[in-house]
Amino acid sequence: MTQFRTFILALTASFGLPWLCLIVVPAVKYQALSPLPYDKEADGMDGYYPPAPINRQGQLVYAREGCAQCHTQMIRPPQIALDGWRKGWGQDQEGRPPEPVRSNELRDYHGEKFAFLGIQRSGPDLANYGWRVADRNAVHQKLFAPRSIHDWSTMPPLRHLYTVRLAQGQPSEKALKLTGKHAPKPGYEVVPTEDADALVDYLLSLKKDYPIPGRAAAMAAAAK
Amino acid sequence: MQTTPATTDTQADDLRRAAIDKSVKGPVLFLFLNGAFWLMASTILGVLAAIKQFAPEFLGACSVLQYGRLQPTHVNALVYGWGVQAALGAMLWIMARRTGQELKSGKSILFTAAIFWNIAVTLGLLGILLGQSTSMEWLEMPAFVWPVMLASFLAFAWPLARMFGRAFRPDGFMVSTWYVLGACFWFPWVFITANVALHCLPGLGAIGAGINAWYVHALILLFFAPVAIGAAYYFIPKITGQPIASAQLAKLGFWLLAVLGGWTGMQHFMGGPLPAWMVAVGAAAAVLLLIPVGVVGLNHHLTTLGKHSLVASSPTLRFVFFGSLFYPVSGVILALISNFSTGATLQFTQAWYGFQMVAVYGFFSMTLFGAIYYIVPRLSGCEWLSVRLIRNHFWFSVYGTATIVVTSLVAGVQQGADLNHPEMWDQDFSQLALNLRPYIVARALAWGLITWSNFWFLIHLMLMVAGLGRRSSAPTLLAHDHEDEALPNAAHA
Repeated sequence: MTQFRTFILALTASFGLPWLCLIVVPAVKYQALSPLPYDKEADGMDGYYPPAPINRQGQLVYAREGCAQCHTQMIRPPQIALDGWRKGWGQDQEGRPPEPVRSNELRDYHGEKFAFLGIQRSGPDLANYGWRVADRNAVHQKLFAPRSIHDWSTMPPLRHLYTVRLAQGQPSEKALKLTGKHAPKPGYEVVPTEDADALVDYLLSLKKDYPIPGRAAAMAAAAK
Repeated sequence: MQTTPATTDTQADDLRRAAIDKSVKGPVLFLFLNGAFWLMASTILGVLAAIKQFAPEFLGACSVLQYGRLQPTHVNALVYGWGVQAALGAMLWIMARRTGQELKSGKSILFTAAIFWNIAVTLGLLGILLGQSTSMEWLEMPAFVWPVMLASFLAFAWPLARMFGRAFRPDGFMVSTWYVLGACFWFPWVFITANVALHCLPGLGAIGAGINAWYVHALILLFFAPVAIGAAYYFIPKITGQPIASAQLAKLGFWLLAVLGGWTGMQHFMGGPLPAWMVAVGAAAAVLLLIPVGVVGLNHHLTTLGKHSLVASSPTLRFVFFGSLFYPVSGVILALISNFSTGATLQFTQAWYGFQMVAVYGFFSMTLFGAIYYIVPRLSGCEWLSVRLIRNHFWFSVYGTATIVVTSLVAGVQQGADLNHPEMWDQDFSQLALNLRPYIVARALAWGLITWSNFWFLIHLMLMVAGLGRRSSAPTLLAHDHEDEALPNAAHA
């Protein structure tokens, strides 16, 4: 029986150590993590980093449709990958910025119940997607009929998030502007549901390259 | 392990074995049969998900069949529907046989637990399809199912641990029961940790993603791997009639896996927001795992040495042998996707799916098929009907799995190179989608092959469970006639 006890103890110890170090302690410490204030003098801005919690309602739609199967939300540092240099993956939409887009940090996902860092990258990274599109209708069109934008797209059309209805009187402001084979039958219009709007709100809020308090000023000083 | 030549002893042993088999018959067959149903469902979903990945309009734009919902359903059906159920069945039988103990009581509790497990998996998978997915890898099922699954698992783990405890003796070193007990012990711990952290805690942000990756690795390394290794350690000596080559190697392989298995996982998000030390530790552990993997592989190799002809004739040994071959392969793939040089290229590519499939299908499931081919005739009292069906199952599974793994890895290299190519900095994803297409088409075909093999496996298993197998005292062997005594009878006791 002592032998059995030793065996169980050894199992507990060998697994308990990584369990404590990798899961329990970081999870407890994470609860104490709080947003950092910006310094008006050094950073040139007010408020907190990260600024606001994400749109949870939209994130739930993102989760249930399994967007994370193909889209990541994580910019890797240049030592590992070229994510930061890709055109449009940061605030600068023209490309060839002097600095690569910064890689993501723990606080960027603060306030999220779960960070959808992603499983695969069959589609572009979405960490800073909010900078990439100016127009919410363009996002709706992309979600409703991805192939109306790129005919090679392998993105699933999320048509169930939209209602196709008889257009009565004035066409709705929200109606999608679709042409060609993606357009609804004449007299009909496509309008987003609440879920679709929430999802678009969420996607447009993805700007995870906030300046980090103290960091920008230090880098500017180093560059001089 | 082997029976002694004395006839009275042999008879007494046979009676004892028959009594043990009878005591676990119901639950084990129930688990295997339901597992085979889920496997069938999972492989069909695998075909559909692969097609949807390159042709999103296939079968229309119906919400239930979108790739983002189908893919997790396919993987979850494989992991929880088939994997855990088949594992529990094999664990129960191996533990009872190896410790020489009958299942004393509580059979009805086991049945209830198994039924509830299936209800939970059904509701969970429907939940994913109908839009309740949590999008946390391998935990996509809605939150309400996990306590039910946990309780069902514990209902099985408890009698297994009791059997182990009662029979534990220092002189009789039984490595297969170590692994089985380890699986009983690690699964609840890992499962509770991940579910409590991700469902009950107020929110862990990127740490949650790290815990999720850790969970997937831990489930593979500390549940699926131990069950399959335990089964291989049981069946290889049993059928070759040779003792395990080295007890030292066996112990070393076990303890190194136990020590290293819990550290790995976070390297999945290398270059990400997790603290760097967590990622580095995970990567180091994943590469170090090559040692226990190699040790176990070497031990199996030495045990099988000189008996390779049996691989041709015994269905069990054939499946177990190939399953065990996939263990080192999984270890190498894990090391490839986990270290910082090749891992950075393979990160966020199809290679990750390739690793999951080589571990859960190539290694674990193939070994478990071998176990099922051995266990079921002893429980149902009849022999497998058709050599052709077994052979069919074997070859279609081998080719299908190998295709999935190889294409996923090559696709991963291609995808990683495309993503990290400096010339691609201002390109859209059209080239990437185009380059990926042939590999995904190949995957759809491979899942088709596997579906074909599993269809016949399921039919064969259903006939066996219904007691409609061959009435014979000679086992169904692949290369020889049934009358031919290719194996010593003792090996098939």
